[in-house]
Amino acid sequence: MDEPTSAITEKEVKTLFEQIDRLRKQNVAIIYISHKMDEIFKIADRISVLRDGNYIGTFPANEIDNDKLIKMMVGREIKEFIPKTDAPIGEVVLEVNNLCRGKHFQNVSFKLHKGEILGIAGLVGAGRSELAECIFGITRPSSGEVIIRNKKTNIRHPKDAIRNRVALITEDRKFTGLNLKSTVKTNITIVGLDELSRLGVINESKERRVADKFIDQLKIKTNSRNTMISSLSGGNQQKVVLSKWLQTTPEIIIMDEPTRGIDVGAKRDIYLLMGELVKAGKALIMISSEIPEIMGLSDRILVLAAGRLTGEINRPDFTQETIMRFASDFSSGNRI
Amino acid sequence: MKTGKLVTRMLIGLLVIIMIAGCTAQPTAAPAEPAAKVQKYGLFMSHMTNAFTIEMSDAVKAKAAELGVELTVYDGGQDAAKQVSQVETAVTQGITGIVIEPVSVDGIVPAIEAATKAGIPVVVVNQKISKPEAASAFVGVSNVDGGVMEMKTAAEAIGGKGNVAFLLGPMGSDAQLGRTEGYYNVLKDYPDIKVVFEQTANWKTDEALKLVENWLQTGTEINAIVANNDGMALGALKAVEDAKLLDKIKIYGLDATPDALAAVKDGRMAATVSQSTTAQGATAMETVVKLVKGEKVDPEILVSFTLITIENVGEYLK
Amino acid sequence: MNKTLRKSFEFSSLREVGIFIAFFVILAILMILSPNAFAKPANLVNILKQASINGILATGMMFVIISGGIDLSVGSIVALTGVIAATFAHPGEYPLIVPIVLSVVIGAAVGLLNGVSVAYGNIPPFIVTLGTMTIVRGVALIAAKGQPVFNVTKLFEGIAGGFVFNTIPHLVVYFVVITLVCAFIITRTVFGRRVYAVGGNETAARVSGINVDWIKIAVYTLSGFLAGIAGLLLASRLVSGNPTAGQAYELDAIAAVIIGGVSMAGGAGKWYGTVIGALLIAVIGNGLDILNVSSHFQLIIKGSIIIIAVLLDMKGKGKQ
Repeated sequence: MDEPTSAITEKEVKTLFEQIDRLRKQNVAIIYISHKMDEIFKIADRISVLRDGNYIGTFPANEIDNDKLIKMMVGREIKEFIPKTDAPIGEVVLEVNNLCRGKHFQNVSFKLHKGEILGIAGLVGAGRSELAECIFGITRPSSGEVIIRNKKTNIRHPKDAIRNRVALITEDRKFTGLNLKSTVKTNITIVGLDELSRLGVINESKERRVADKFIDQLKIKTNSRNTMISSLSGGNQQKVVLSKWLQTTPEIIIMDEPTRGIDVGAKRDIYLLMGELVKAGKALIMISSEIPEIMGLSDRILVLAAGRLTGEINRPDFTQETIMRFASDFSSGNRI
Repeated sequence: MKTGKLVTRMLIGLLVIIMIAGCTAQPTAAPAEPAAKVQKYGLFMSHMTNAFTIEMSDAVKAKAAELGVELTVYDGGQDAAKQVSQVETAVTQGITGIVIEPVSVDGIVPAIEAATKAGIPVVVVNQKISKPEAASAFVGVSNVDGGVMEMKTAAEAIGGKGNVAFLLGPMGSDAQLGRTEGYYNVLKDYPDIKVVFEQTANWKTDEALKLVENWLQTGTEINAIVANNDGMALGALKAVEDAKLLDKIKIYGLDATPDALAAVKDGRMAATVSQSTTAQGATAMETVVKLVKGEKVDPEILVSFTLITIENVGEYLK
Repeated sequence: MNKTLRKSFEFSSLREVGIFIAFFVILAILMILSPNAFAKPANLVNILKQASINGILATGMMFVIISGGIDLSVGSIVALTGVIAATFAHPGEYPLIVPIVLSVVIGAAVGLLNGVSVAYGNIPPFIVTLGTMTIVRGVALIAAKGQPVFNVTKLFEGIAGGFVFNTIPHLVVYFVVITLVCAFIITRTVFGRRVYAVGGNETAARVSGINVDWIKIAVYTLSGFLAGIAGLLLASRLVSGNPTAGQAYELDAIAAVIIGGVSMAGGAGKWYGTVIGALLIAVIGNGLDILNVSSHFQLIIKGSIIIIAVLLDMKGKGKQ
């Protein structure tokens, strides 16, 4: 059973466990894959731990506890060097108060400052991307408010977010970040097209210059600005996504898994770029599932678990265990 | 949920009982006197989208009103299957008499046979069905005669020799076959007339326009264009006028639709032929009422065509 | 402008060169088969005339298909607006401007209805436009009382039938002007770029701040507007408004767009491909008429070309 309880109610979980008991009495052997500690300890006889594709070990359930388990799950050496740029942290630019969206997330509140990189950690399905999409206007909250530069906003469509100088680099560039049927140039300029045109007509030489500027600045490897974006590597595609948002000179940039599916070299380029952005006074929110990355770059880390904010950690107190503990804390709230 | 199942079963049971009662109840309705029965007639048209069908149905309706009987008009929408369903439904609803202008001369036969078997007289109008004896009577024109009238006029007008082009209706339709046969019948007597083009334009004005436009490009001389109907003749007329060849090419149509009559009056179209649509419709209605009363009629009643040229067009313009 | 014109002719795929080649090959074949009739200048003008109405419809259809949708209602709009235009073009009744304005307004209104239903009603475009296609046809038949509406003024006839400099038919001028204006819109404006974006990836377009709903409403309204113009021109050409006109015209428009290389899935395709597609269909119709090939065979040939075009399109995508 692979994550069998990720989409069912508590009542149904109880029923599932009753069935598991029944199967055990019939001498059926069960492998139960889960990241929910409380469940594991409720039903497991023995626990095996895998980490980054490596087999760590198998232990009788009564010989290990929560802390030991977490240590084994995350205890990896941070081999990569994540370049951290120091930038002065200024006033609050974004304030989220008690933002709720049905069963996706509830009562999320936090502040974001100029020059800050705020990391958001959590397990898959914790509601981080949903939170980002809601702030950006792709979906609407059921309650709560978003305040940008001390003004209450009513963001109902990405257009509104963009006007408020917010940018969102989505989790899956192929599905929601790029037009794969188009060229590098077209993808770079699609958000900020109004600035490159007059009375609705595009100034093509201006557009070419802007595209070339970003290809140069972000070191995007492409044959020409007219190459089809689908033929670029993942890293270069992500740089195109970044370019299209940077063209609008945003002040708040939300990045959802910014280095997923990207080679090491491009990753480094993006980390350095993020540093330059905060140095220039922008505010960044980085959603990431890569612990070294989020620990390496963030000034603060918020942790979401099952749609609720379960912890806030400042840089001096960053440890993998702390993050993992908050991320697996399903005690608060009744997630359906 | 269990009560729900019970209720559903009860309703189904009730429905079955009602249906059985309904079916067995029919025979008891038969003894009612025919005189007390309401006389509901049905007119089944192949479609209602051109002047011909409108004129036909208007004539039938007028005659029905004159005779004091109720008439429902059904539009078959050029769909053979739809018309069959319409007839079958009317028969089961106890229609008194049927006048039908068939979409498909073959496809409608079983439905007509079923109707006459059920004692309902059927008068077929304008287009003969493939099994004429299945119906009670046919009122119409001989499409061959119409074609003959058109072609004869055209042949004489071009002096018995020259090139002609034919614009045909949908291939295989009763009207197309009959009228074209008429053309060739006439041509037997005119060995010096050559048919240079012959294509279908499917009764459509725009198709005919394009076709004739392209024929005129070939450089082949054309002295007359004879069209199976007015709609196509008018398309040909436009093409010929655009090419400024109206003085060299004469145009003939059939149907006597209002726009064609106007063109004849203006001297642009040489002639059209009226298939006395009104007379056909009125006669068909008269005939079916006679049959219901039990009178004997001829199985085939033909109404004659009328040639309309600039000389007599005034009588036909409304 | 010169440079841009050259740039817009960049062939991003073998497929696009293919359509040009196919066009000239077919042209050459027809010229050989019928040397006297086909290649005459008068006949070439003929072909342009016969391509005009479909070409105008195809231009509107191109916008809709690039945006990821489809519009099946344009043929019925042609019928309705033709009937309305002819009704208001009888001698001595209304000034010429009335039928002209009514045609485009009614066409645009139907298009607007389509667009709103697709955008806000979330109903698939195929279903919506199938519905309006049927409804509008019914309205046309009722408005015309089932028969052609004739007896129009000479001025009305001259809308499509007149000539510029005594040689170029008005009809062709409208086709050319509309094509060039729409080409400009789709390639050089923000709106045009957004239409491609919506068709290429609707979600990414929304995330990029594009109001996808408005774009959809706009393209269907444009398609309806152009169908209104086509209806007016057809009525002028036939000097009558026919409620049964325009049947299957939407299929010819779609065929022109597809043959020209616009992908049915949306987001790609060049405007000149649609023009070539419309010209190709007219060339085939004209050439085969001259060679005395029945219209039934013409259907078979047209259908085969569409299938070949789609197969080439799919093969090209496979390579990518």
